[in-house]
Formats: sequence, C-alpha cells, structure tokens
Amino acid sequence: MPELYLRLLNRILTPVLLLLALYLLFRGHNLPGGGFIAGLMAAAAFQLQILSRGHRSVRSTVGPYLHSGIGLGLAVAICAGFVGLLEGTFFKGIWFSLHLPFLGDLKLGTPVIFDLGVFLVVASVTTSYLLGLSRVSDTASLRLDETVSRIRYDSAGSNPAEASVEPGPRAES
Amino acid sequence: MAVSANLLAVPVAAPLLAAAFILLFARWGGRRRIRQQIALTSLALCLNLAAAAILFQATAGRGERFVLQLGDWSAPFGITFYGDGLSATLLLLTAIVALAVYPFAVATIDYHRARMGFHPLYLFLLMGVNGAFLSGDLFNLYVFFEVLLMASFVLLTIGAQPAQTNSGIRYVVLNLLASTIFLVAAGVAYGTLGTLNMAQIAERLPVASPAVQTVFAGLLLVSFGSKAPSLPLFFWLPSSYHTPPPAVTALFGGLLTKVGIYTLFRSFTLFFPELLVSWQPVLLTISGATMLVGALGALAQPGIRRVLSFHIISHVGFMLMGLAVAQSGNRLAVGFGLGAAVIYLCHHMIIKTALIMAGGAVELHMGSDRLVSIGGLVTRQPLLAFLFFMSAISLAGVPPFSGFVSKLSLLQITLDTRHWVVSGVSLFASLLTMINMMRLWRESFWGEYNRPSRVPVRILQSRIRQRLMLTPVAVLVLLSLALGIWGGPAITLSMRVAQQALDRQAYIEAVSPSSRISTADADLHLISSGTYLLVSPVAKSGTAAHAPPISRGSVR
Repeated sequence: MPELYLRLLNRILTPVLLLLALYLLFRGHNLPGGGFIAGLMAAAAFQLQILSRGHRSVRSTVGPYLHSGIGLGLAVAICAGFVGLLEGTFFKGIWFSLHLPFLGDLKLGTPVIFDLGVFLVVASVTTSYLLGLSRVSDTASLRLDETVSRIRYDSAGSNPAEASVEPGPRAES
Repeated sequence: MAVSANLLAVPVAAPLLAAAFILLFARWGGRRRIRQQIALTSLALCLNLAAAAILFQATAGRGERFVLQLGDWSAPFGITFYGDGLSATLLLLTAIVALAVYPFAVATIDYHRARMGFHPLYLFLLMGVNGAFLSGDLFNLYVFFEVLLMASFVLLTIGAQPAQTNSGIRYVVLNLLASTIFLVAAGVAYGTLGTLNMAQIAERLPVASPAVQTVFAGLLLVSFGSKAPSLPLFFWLPSSYHTPPPAVTALFGGLLTKVGIYTLFRSFTLFFPELLVSWQPVLLTISGATMLVGALGALAQPGIRRVLSFHIISHVGFMLMGLAVAQSGNRLAVGFGLGAAVIYLCHHMIIKTALIMAGGAVELHMGSDRLVSIGGLVTRQPLLAFLFFMSAISLAGVPPFSGFVSKLSLLQITLDTRHWVVSGVSLFASLLTMINMMRLWRESFWGEYNRPSRVPVRILQSRIRQRLMLTPVAVLVLLSLALGIWGGPAITLSMRVAQQALDRQAYIEAVSPSSRISTADADLHLISSGTYLLVSPVAKSGTAAHAPPISRGSVR
C-alpha cells in the first residue's frame, strides 16, 4: 500500500501538474514549451497517480482511452495541416485572434492545434508505456517474492525450458 | 492541368490519417470493427495509388519536379518534400505493391493479429516508406527510416512466436546499427557543411575537402548498403524474412529493401556523382559479389521463403551494378545504367512480391515450406502452380516478361562500358536464379502429393480467400508481362527518370529557387575565395546556416 504522504501529495500535485502542462502547451509557440513537453508533464501526473493509487486502478480508469488518445492526437495534428491548404500550402500556419472578456486577446492558430495533437499523442503514448512498465515491475517483484520464499530458481529468467526455444536457422535443414 | 505540389503530402498524410482513425476507434473491438478497419485501410491505399499515379504522370511523363516546403518555410529551415521521376516511380510501385499485398494480407492474417493492430501498422509502414522517398532533408530521411523500421519491427514480431522473436532481435540490432551509422553521417554533414538539406549538401560538397567527401560517402554507402542489403552487411535479411506471416514477408520483400536502394541512387547521383566514376571498381566488386553470394546462398537453402529472401540480395547486386555504371554512358545515352537499374527495380518490386505471395500460398496450403517434405501441389492447385511458374521465369529473365528487358539493358550497358567480369558474373547469377526457380517449382509442385502438416487446410479451401490470395498474384504477373511487352516505352520513361535524377543542378534550383546562378567567371572567382571559408571553423559554428554564398555553377 502506498505511503500516506504520497497519497496526500497526489491530491495536491496532480492538478498542479495538469495545469502546468496546459500552461506549457499554450505558451509553447514562441517560448520554451509546446506539445511534447506538455505531454511529458501530463504523463508525469499520471505516473504520480500510478505510484499513489497502484497501476490497476489507473489502468481501469484511463487505460481504455489511451489508444483513442493516440489516434485522436494524430488525426488532430494532420487535420491542422489540412487547414493550411486554405492558404495554398500544406501545414501553412493560419492565425486568428480571439477576444476574451477579461484576459485580453488570445492568439490562436493551426500551430496551436497541431501542438494539441502532439500533446495528446505524447501524453497517451507515455502513459501507456508507464502502465506497461509498472505492470512489468509488479510481476518482477512478485517473482522476487517467490524466489525469496522458496529457493528453487536462481533468478526469474534462468528457467532452462525458456532458454532454448528456437534452434538456429540451419538446425532444421 | 497543373498538379499542385501539395499532392506530395498525400502519400504521407493519407496513410497516417487512416491509421489515426483506426486507432481512434480501436477500443471497441470485434470482427465488425476489423472489417471497418479493412475498408478504411483499402481507401487509404487507393488514395495513395491515385496520388502516386498522378505524380508519376507529371514527373516521369512530362518531366516536371515538385517541391513542397511544408508551411511555406523555405528550404534550409522548413521540412522539404521533393518529388521527381525517381521518387514518383518508387511511390507508384510502392502503392501498387501495397495495394496488391493487402488482399492477400486480409485473407491470411488471423483475427488475433488483426486485433493487435496489423492494419494500422501496415499503414504506418507505408507512410514511412513514402516519406523516405519524398524527403529532401537528411534528418527527415532518418526520421522516416525510423518510422518504417518501428512499424516493421512490430509487424515482424506480431503474433509473438518464438522464432519470430528470435529473428526480430537480429533484425532490430542490425538495422539500428545501420541507422546509427546513418546518423553519424548526418552529423558529419552538419558539422562540416553546416546543413542537412540535401540540395544544400549537394551544393556545398564539391568545395568541401576530399576527406569530408570520402568519409561522408563511405558512411552513407555502409549504412544504406546494409539496409539495401548489399554484400558485407546482409545477414539480417535471410535470418528474419522467413519467420513472420507470408503477407508480411511479401510486403517487406517488395518495399523495405527498396528504400535502401533508392537512398543509394539518390545520394550518389545527387551528392557525389564524381565518386561514381572514381569508386566504380569498389561498387562493381560489391555488386558482383552480392549477386553471386545471394544466388549461391539461395542454392543451399531448404525452404521457399529462405530461397526467395536470398534472391532479394542477389537482385540488389544487379541494381547496384546499374548504379555503378550510371555516369559512364554508351552509344545510347549517358545515364543508361541508372535507367536500366530503375527498370530493374520496377521489375523486381513487382515480381518479387508476386513470387513471395505465391510461395506463401504454397506454404499456407502445405503447412510447411521445407522443400524436401512438400510436393505435388500441381494437381490440387493448378492455377497457383501456373502463376508461380510464370513469376519464377519472369524473375529468372525469360523473354516475354519484364525480367528479360531489365536484365538485357543492364547487360548491354556493362558490355558497352567493357566491364566483362561483372557482366559475366551477372549472367552466371541469372543462370543460378533459373536453376533455383526451377528447383522451387519442381520440389513444391511436381511429384507425389505430399503434405507434411496434419493440420487441415482451411485457408485455400475457402473460395473467397483463395480468390483474394491469387488475384493479386495474377495482376502482378500481368503487370510484369506488360512491362516486358511494352519494354520500349518503359525504357524511354526510365531513361527520362534517370536523366532527371542525374541532373543535380535542377534539383538544387528546384529546392531553393531564390538563389541566383552565377556565371562561369564569377564562379571560378567564388570558388577560389570561398573554399577556405567553407572548411574554416567559421562555417562550422552556429552561424553556418548563413554560410557565405557558394556558387551554384560549380556544381556540374
């Protein structure tokens, strides 16, 4: 079971990380930041969730949407390129500004939409890696427990039945 | 009708978009979803074929060149896509092969593998291959190489049989090694020439020091040569191509190695055409040895797909031979060798895919592809036997087919340029190919009907599946026949493609049209004053993108 402080930190840090990711995403056109960094930041938030709540519960909540996230991100990024065709060239940046009542003008454009696609792809891919890795480390620690309790195998990989499955390419001739 | 340069984006964007939509809805699985994936993939493949056909018609037919600067960022800063006859020919052939293998894949890939993402991976692979043909930038070329390698790693090991994993490891390690060498070459180019744009490299390389040229050319030759694969570094291919499902092998055999060949053609004709003359003995030795080793290795192989994968290597040698004599003309034309190599490439892509698919059908019917244990299929599958025979004799180079035209033109140029040894070796390798093909056909189709596997045949007994498998083979064989019968027009077209590829000046102007071409006098002056600037540390620093103006006329 995760530590108490980790669970407490999780409550505070996850919203902060996600907001920071959004901030990085939208400032990224002219300043350091952008879709890739923001995606990594969002994945860090998910990693915190995995550490504090265990990978099973995270998998059951966000796991089903990861593939769709990759697909959606790719589709959004490419479609941002197609918008540029309106001005003659694929991926040409088209800008328009949006007037917000209190915050002033917000400049939006197809590069931002492209960055949004990149953000979705990176966040989904990295989260799925992290979920996969945590499952692998879980199985490894389970095996380690087995090894410690009853000393039968030297290590997890040294099962002789697994070692030589495939003969060399000339062996069957 | 003028064709917009935006068309260059379609071969990359269409497969990517279709794959994105497939992934978007992949969560809700089931057989109905798989059928929709198949429909979407076919749509993307057809779009790709249409775009490639239009591009081919405009470039090879009318001699145009297309440059797409993505987002209107001009050449050294943005992403450049460049399409000329050579790219368009390969795009068209790739589109044909991908569309032809797809019905075969639909018929033979099982539900489990389809659930694991076979169809989007197919599209990602196609996207990587197309992007590599279009890229006008060394780094983007590397990126697209990686895209196609990633997709091919997964396609090779999809299903996770132990043999597949075993071969997958060798494939991954050796290909990553080649990619690393390519990356080092790109680093050398950026460090010494200050650019990665291929047009700018071509422009600056002639005034760089000979050591830089030699190192750069050598690194590119090793890395692309091992992807092609030519002689010293071909081990990954025969040790991996026989393990995945036959549809995957057919796709790989048709597409992947051609990317290496294309990059060799492109880099040698664009960057260092003079090395084609001075390194000619090396290239000819490599090509002759590759032909011979491939054909001899095939003789010793026990299974259909292993024989065919060794023949891929042997054929790479033929194409390299065409490249090696590309700069030395005969009485027909300068660049006849490259044209012959291009037509050989077309022939090879068409007929090798057909042959691997036919061999895969035999293997799926028999449950094994070991030649000693199978036989007698001609009574059960007469159509398959006929198609296999036709594609086998086309591969060996028997007259009405495309193999004859392409081998004859290659032989003509090597004899005209008096390379007696390598032309003799190529004749001997063709003879060995013939022997091998006859051996394959005799062992698998003649004799007593002998089926080693006890598992009942399901795939070839379903009539729809059989049609899906054999129709593409028949179409490809007919294409090969057409290429052989209309050999004259095909040679004319491929000559035009070769001339276009050899014309480096036009490439440079097309990619960076803002620059002016200096006259011959200013040219000499600029070279004498600009040479030391280029190789001096000033050009190596971060301001290298704004390097002093280099004369364009110096490029022959």
